[in-house]
Amino acid sequence: MTVLTADGVATPVAAPPAPSNALLVVQNLTKHYGPVVAVQDVSFYCLPGEVHALIGENGAGKSTIAKMLAGAVVPTSGSVTAGGIALVSGRIKDARLAGVSCAFQELALVPDWTVAENLALPDGAALRGFSQRKSIHAATALLAGLELDHIDARALVSSLSLADRQFVEIARAITGAPKALILDEASSALGPPGVEWLFRRIRELTALGTSVIYVSHRLSELAVIADRGTVLRDGRVAGEFSRGNWSEDQLISMMAGREASKAFPSSPPLPVSSKPDVLRIENLVAEGLNGISILIKPGEILGVGGLQGHGQRELLRALFGATPASASKWMLGGRPVRRLTPVKAVRLGAGYVPEDRKVEGLALELGVGENLLAPWLKPFQRGGRPRLASEKTWISGVIASLSIRTRGPLENAGALSGGNQQKIVFGRWTDRSRTLILLHDPTRGIDVRAKQELYKAIIELSRQGVGVLWFSTEVEELVNICHRVVVLYEGKIADELEGDRLTAEAVVGAAVGVASPGVSQREIS
Amino acid sequence: MTTTTAIQTVDDTRTRVTNLARIVSRMPRSAWPLLVFVALFLIGGLIRPGLLSIDSLIGTATFAMILAIASFGQTAAVIQGGVDLSVPNTIAFSALTFLTLIGPLGPLGGLIGALLGGLAIGLMNGVIVAKLGLTPIVTTIAMNGLLFGVLLLTFKNSELTVIPHLLTQLTATKFSLFGVKIAAVLPLGLLLMIVLQLILSYTGWGRSLFLVGSAPEAAKLAGQPVDRIRIAGYALSSVIAAIAGIVLVGFYAQASATMGADYLLGSVAAVLVGGASIAGGRGSMVGTFGGALVLGQVATLVAVANLGSNIQQLIYGAIVLVVIALYSRRARD
Amino acid sequence: MTLPTAPSRAWNAHGVTRLRREGAVAPVAAFLVFFIVYVIINPGLLTRFQLQSAANLVVPLALAALGQLIIVLVGGIDISIGAIMSLSNVVFALSMEHLPVPLAMLAGIGAGLACGLFNGFLVAYLRLPAIAVTLASAFIIGSITREIMDRPGGGITPAFYLATSGELLPYLPISIFWLAIVGVALWLVLQRSALGRHIYGVGSSADSVRAAGLNARGAQLAAFALSSVIVSFGAIMLAGSTITGDPRSGDSYLLSSIAAVALAGAAFTGGRGSILGTILAACTLGLVGSLLFFAGVNSYWQYVISALIVISVVGVPVIWRTTYLAIRRVRS
Repeated sequence: MTVLTADGVATPVAAPPAPSNALLVVQNLTKHYGPVVAVQDVSFYCLPGEVHALIGENGAGKSTIAKMLAGAVVPTSGSVTAGGIALVSGRIKDARLAGVSCAFQELALVPDWTVAENLALPDGAALRGFSQRKSIHAATALLAGLELDHIDARALVSSLSLADRQFVEIARAITGAPKALILDEASSALGPPGVEWLFRRIRELTALGTSVIYVSHRLSELAVIADRGTVLRDGRVAGEFSRGNWSEDQLISMMAGREASKAFPSSPPLPVSSKPDVLRIENLVAEGLNGISILIKPGEILGVGGLQGHGQRELLRALFGATPASASKWMLGGRPVRRLTPVKAVRLGAGYVPEDRKVEGLALELGVGENLLAPWLKPFQRGGRPRLASEKTWISGVIASLSIRTRGPLENAGALSGGNQQKIVFGRWTDRSRTLILLHDPTRGIDVRAKQELYKAIIELSRQGVGVLWFSTEVEELVNICHRVVVLYEGKIADELEGDRLTAEAVVGAAVGVASPGVSQREIS
Repeated sequence: MTTTTAIQTVDDTRTRVTNLARIVSRMPRSAWPLLVFVALFLIGGLIRPGLLSIDSLIGTATFAMILAIASFGQTAAVIQGGVDLSVPNTIAFSALTFLTLIGPLGPLGGLIGALLGGLAIGLMNGVIVAKLGLTPIVTTIAMNGLLFGVLLLTFKNSELTVIPHLLTQLTATKFSLFGVKIAAVLPLGLLLMIVLQLILSYTGWGRSLFLVGSAPEAAKLAGQPVDRIRIAGYALSSVIAAIAGIVLVGFYAQASATMGADYLLGSVAAVLVGGASIAGGRGSMVGTFGGALVLGQVATLVAVANLGSNIQQLIYGAIVLVVIALYSRRARD
Repeated sequence: MTLPTAPSRAWNAHGVTRLRREGAVAPVAAFLVFFIVYVIINPGLLTRFQLQSAANLVVPLALAALGQLIIVLVGGIDISIGAIMSLSNVVFALSMEHLPVPLAMLAGIGAGLACGLFNGFLVAYLRLPAIAVTLASAFIIGSITREIMDRPGGGITPAFYLATSGELLPYLPISIFWLAIVGVALWLVLQRSALGRHIYGVGSSADSVRAAGLNARGAQLAAFALSSVIVSFGAIMLAGSTITGDPRSGDSYLLSSIAAVALAGAAFTGGRGSILGTILAACTLGLVGSLLFFAGVNSYWQYVISALIVISVVGVPVIWRTTYLAIRRVRS
């Protein structure tokens, strides 16, 4: 797939007045988090029996809108009406009573409840009897009616696979025949049969007159299911489309906008290096991983693709020693590894940018400088201000090279925007003689400029001969920047793509368990 | 001020802050309890002018310093994200060990024995919390109970009233400074406070306590040896509690199995009033001393107003509530 | 703690599964072992008098532990539990001087409930950390208690002793009967009402409960209220068995209630914990002292042994798992 240029980008359309029969009407919806604008003046409507898609890149404001519709987030201004009733209270219960239900992206199931409890408890008052037996019967019948017989109603939700949890979440949202259903990235963990299942359910509901808001960034699904749609960019409406009058290229350029049109720098040529391989691992076994073999050369950017929940998080954590794992052969920076811990991994030259920057990446109450220094604090050395002073050159170098916008090393990391926080987690590993950097979707939910700066920094690492393992949920990033991509499916490497075979279609195909056409699946022992 | 943790930045409110408000909001957390103490001290002077004297100040400060010494260890435990409810019986254990050992081993032997005992207790606490994954509250409560049993079993009939002269001199003896009589425990405690504060603020280990307390998962994924840092935090807590035990023996010239009981809730209260977060990642030794000063001045005022120790406890509780409500509001803004 | 074996159908029967899920298998087993050892060392336990005094010793602790369990289920901890117990003990004993028993009980439970609502409001609606709130309220409630009554006393009658601490039937102490009633009622609330499941859910994941459109804060407040009522009932049982009201009577229950909940295998992060396990854990810890007495061991050992029981219930599985993994690694 070629990168789109700025040509053909539709200009934002003024919101047309909603027709009188619209079921769900959203007008000038705005949400500010402090100085950060998450959503600005978004208007759209949805007719009964219609599927309205909300699309946009990560961080474009889709999820915030879905949460405002569902009553989980109170809008700063603007209105939502469902069937003529205004919903602004910010209470999920009110929205449910008005007939609006939502399957959330961060799954809203209680992990220590059984499937049956999760399905039964949200309805009705707190002060009433509850029978395990009855709820299990009801849940079993419900799941059977929705073709989900394989899920045991007695099982704890925490014991289910991510895909099954997503099924239960969707099942819960569509019970009680809602007037409007919001599906927030509801297909993110589902394979093709699951997506087909979801589409069957959506068609059943729309046949009954339910409006469906379908939030997604998978364009291929929209062609099948969406009647109309709204494209979001940076919290604003970037354009609208309806069935049949759009092409993928148009939508992509609408989503990316002019600024990001020449989005991806290309990866530097692999240097011919005499240095040992950065990482050589054979038959890695850990929870959720089933025999993975990986080789990374100095300066190589290895992409990791796949659907959510197919072992990417486990792979990165295992390679950093954060979860127990074993392999038949394991060399990190040319040295053999037996039991890896994060302490040892850092000593052997690894660095890790974890998934959740707020919990796993940063100490939000500490300063920018101390967060940068977090891996480099040693008990019997200086710390605090004297250390910040002695590392001044390095700290200001990192801040400058990544363009971290901060008032200085003493500012609390919690006060920074998401993109700048991400740069701190990334920046702590730069210029520290690393051999391997593990990245967990570092560009998720950050603005376009911060993305560009991270791309640049990753390429710079590669130029310096650092090996990079980069898991991304953006297929375009993998295809355009990485030298090579492995795609995980059910904890195994489904395919390894390089050169001409490295296309977006091939990555997506392998991610759902289909080998790209004409190529036999690589055998992994 | 010596703390770097307490550096607060003004974020969203910056549009409407006046200069004064900016100074106030940039003030380190540990300065708050000191300010409150000064206010309470002045209020005391309004109620009874005689209270507005250096002697009264020194009296309150001495009382507060004893509580602060018992709470410094707790501060370290709270900063790294836990709590140490074994402080009371660690105090008693170290005091009684000290007194038992000075007979055969002499004062230095007694001191070393008591500190080693404290170290062992702290290491056990730390290993159970960090390696076995038992919650800090349960672990240290169990340890407190275990120590109580050990105290009753080991020291039941000992004659424990011979206090070495040197110790009394180091703690209880009053000396005169510019015409003011000061108990030796005050400078001793100040010295301890400064040393500990320097360790917390300016060493890698001290800062790693804050890192682990503020975000344990982030510390782990930055390659910090979280378990070892935790264990060392509990060890420091218990060693300081052991020091407190010896100081208490010297100052009050007595020891018993229940001598630490008041410090179970008292030490946590002083630490919280001193601006530490019970969730970890925040706190300072100077703040804890400030917290102890506030509680001490309340005790003085209550005594002057003749309200009894019951009302004093009530006010302590109310102060802790107000403090956590205020701090959590500021943290949320 | 058991190695994965093929589970039989019977083992998977619903009650056992639930016990296992809630971590109660270890405390139930520990209690059985303990009970057998106890009876071997002291067959005299099975006499009427000894059964009665053992029951009177254990029941207030079991009730305090159940109160603590409910707070732990919503992910909190209650440092003020001993103070609440003292307060309702004292209020009840004093009320007995003037009021008929039912009203006095109502007064005692009402006093406890007020404390629970106070804590619960601060934790649920002002979102303050439970440990700090209950620490402060422990100070406050304790001083109020001693203001109400500064030394043991009150108007508890021998008739009330018989009603709380006598025998219902030969060999069946009446206190066990009352404990059973509370236990079953609590079980009904926690397992058979939506509110009870909400309480478990809030501890497991408050965000998810909220996202499901449920009132998470209400469930938290309800948990604090429920807990304080049960603790107050324990205080009344304690007043009955000692025939006095005592402003310090609850003090020792802070530590032992937390120890019992830990021994019961409840998760201190919330969401998991069993009623049966907690009652049996309280029985085990409550009887350690008298077992040592009958075994001729210095009863001060009870403090050491109780602590070791609590630590080893958590520690042994961890050590077992680590060694098991190490052995497997060496073999492969």
